[in-house]
Amino acid sequence: MKLCTRLALSAIGLAALCISGCASFGAKPWQHDLLAERAMQVDPYPLQSSIDDHIYFSKEASSGGRSFAGGGCGCN
Amino acid sequence: MRVQLKATHSAANPGLRRALKIAAAGLLASGTGKAQEVPPDAPSTGVDSGVLYYHENGRVQAIEPELNLSQMFGEDSKLSIGAVGDALTGATPLGAVPSTLPQTYIRPYKVVPLGTPVTVTTASGGSTVVLVPPAAGATTQTLAASTIVPANTYPLDHAFHDDRFAGHIGWEQALTSTLKLNGGLAYSKEHDYRSESANIGLSKDFFAHNTTLDAGLNYESDLSFPIGGTPTPLTVINGDWKGPDASRHEVDAVAGITQVMNRRWLATLSYSYADAHGYQNDPYKIISVVDPISGQPNSQLYESRPESRRKQSVFLDNKIHLSSDVISVSLRGYKDDWGIKSVTADLRYRFQIGQDYYIEPHVRYYDQRAADFFRYYLVAGEAMPQYASADTRLAKFHAATYGMKFGMPLNEGSEFNVRIEYYDQHGNGSPAYAIGQLRQQNLFPDLQAVTVLLGYTYAF
Repeated sequence: MKLCTRLALSAIGLAALCISGCASFGAKPWQHDLLAERAMQVDPYPLQSSIDDHIYFSKEASSGGRSFAGGGCGCN
Repeated sequence: MRVQLKATHSAANPGLRRALKIAAAGLLASGTGKAQEVPPDAPSTGVDSGVLYYHENGRVQAIEPELNLSQMFGEDSKLSIGAVGDALTGATPLGAVPSTLPQTYIRPYKVVPLGTPVTVTTASGGSTVVLVPPAAGATTQTLAASTIVPANTYPLDHAFHDDRFAGHIGWEQALTSTLKLNGGLAYSKEHDYRSESANIGLSKDFFAHNTTLDAGLNYESDLSFPIGGTPTPLTVINGDWKGPDASRHEVDAVAGITQVMNRRWLATLSYSYADAHGYQNDPYKIISVVDPISGQPNSQLYESRPESRRKQSVFLDNKIHLSSDVISVSLRGYKDDWGIKSVTADLRYRFQIGQDYYIEPHVRYYDQRAADFFRYYLVAGEAMPQYASADTRLAKFHAATYGMKFGMPLNEGSEFNVRIEYYDQHGNGSPAYAIGQLRQQNLFPDLQAVTVLLGYTYAF
C-alpha cells in the first residue's frame, strides 16, 4: 500500500475517532465568553506567527506543523 | 460614585464587552453559538502591522516591516492582503572548516563585456576582485571575488546581503453556517530567489460549533537564480560563472481538528505533509575536503543535497483560560526522509495586569537530529558520497528561545504590543572523530540572536 493511501486512511480513521469522541466535549453557546477573547483564538497574532515561522525556517531544518511547511523564500 | 466606576471599567474592557455580545448572540441563536463567532457589530476592517529588528552575534542583521489588511464583505466574505519587506546584511557561514592556516575562497559575482577595464580592486565584504581568464572566442568575462579567511577563524561570507519583498492575497467565504472555503496566492522575490504559491482550504464545524475540522492544500513553485549561477554539486569551487537557473516545487497538505474542550480550554491537533522536488541545495554553501592525517583543507566543494524531500509533522496546541490569565502550550514533532527528526515545545503565559495591559513570558525549546548526509567535512581519499552538506542548519543541535511581550489593548480589536526575544543555538563544535588540526577548531560556533518586534493592530 502506498504511503499516501496509508496516510489518507489513517487520517480518515483518526477523524472518525475524534468526531465520535468530540461530541462529549464542548461548551454551551452562552459559555463562549472566555473563548471569544483574542488570546483564546487559534492564532491570535497571525503576523507574529508568520514572522516567527520565517525566522525559524531560516535557522532550523524543520518547518510546518501549525501551517504549511513551504518557506516561500531562499533564506540563505 | 461606585456605579460610575463600574460603568467606566465595563466600557474600557473590550474583552468583557465582546464576551457578553458573544454570549447574547449564542443565546439568541438557540444553541448555534460558536467560539470564534463574529458579533453583529464587530469591526469590518482590520489593520495588522509590525516591524521586526533581528540581530545575530557577529552575523546577519535584518529589518522587516510587515502589513496585513482585512476587509469583511457582509457577514460571509473576507478579503485579506498583506506585504512584507526584508533587508538583510552581515555574514553567513560558508560551510567550510577553519584551519590553522589562512584560506582563500573565490566566487563569481559579475559578468562584464570582454575588455571592460576593471578599476575596482575590492568588492563587498573585504574581498578582492580578480578577472577570470575568458574562454577562447568569449565576448564576456567574469569578475570573481577572492576572500582570505585568517587562520583559526570560522569561515564566513561577509558579503552577504539580501532584500526580499513578499505579498499575499486571500479570500474566505462562508458557504453555510458551518462550512467555510478559503483560498489565496502568495509571491516572494529576492535578488536571487523567487517563490510563487497558491492555496485552498475548507473548514467544517460540528456539534454546535465546538468542533472544527479543517484541511488545506498549498502548491509552491520556486526559482533559484544565484549570483554566479547554479554550481554543479560536489565540484571544486572556482570563479567561473555556473549553470542556469534551477527550480523547485512543493505540495503541502494540512489537516487538523480544533476542539472546544470546555469553557476555558481550546485544543488544536494538526498533521502536515509536504513533498518537495527539484533544486534544494544552498548554492552558496561549500564543504571542505581535508587531509586524512593533518585535517588541513585540501579543497572546497559545492554542497549536494537530494532533489526530493518528504516532510511530516504533528502539531498539538492547547490554550487554557485561567481566572484572567491565559496559558498556551504547544508541541510539534517533525521528521523527513533526509533523516531529520525534531521536537519543539512552546510555552506562553499571558498575565493580565488590570484591565489595560498584559505581559507574556515565552519559552521555546527545539531539538534536532542531523540529516543523514550532514558532514562537518569530507576526507580526501575516501569514497565520495552522493550527497554531502556542511550547513550546520542540517546538523544535530538544540536551541532555546526566551521572550517577553508587553501588550496594551486599546479598544475592541486594536492593540499595541512590543516583544523582545533571545535565541540561543548550540551544536557540537568538537566532534570526537575530528582529524588533526580540526581537534583544536570550533566546527559549530554557537548562534545567538536578538529580535525586537513592534506590533500594532487596529480595527474599525
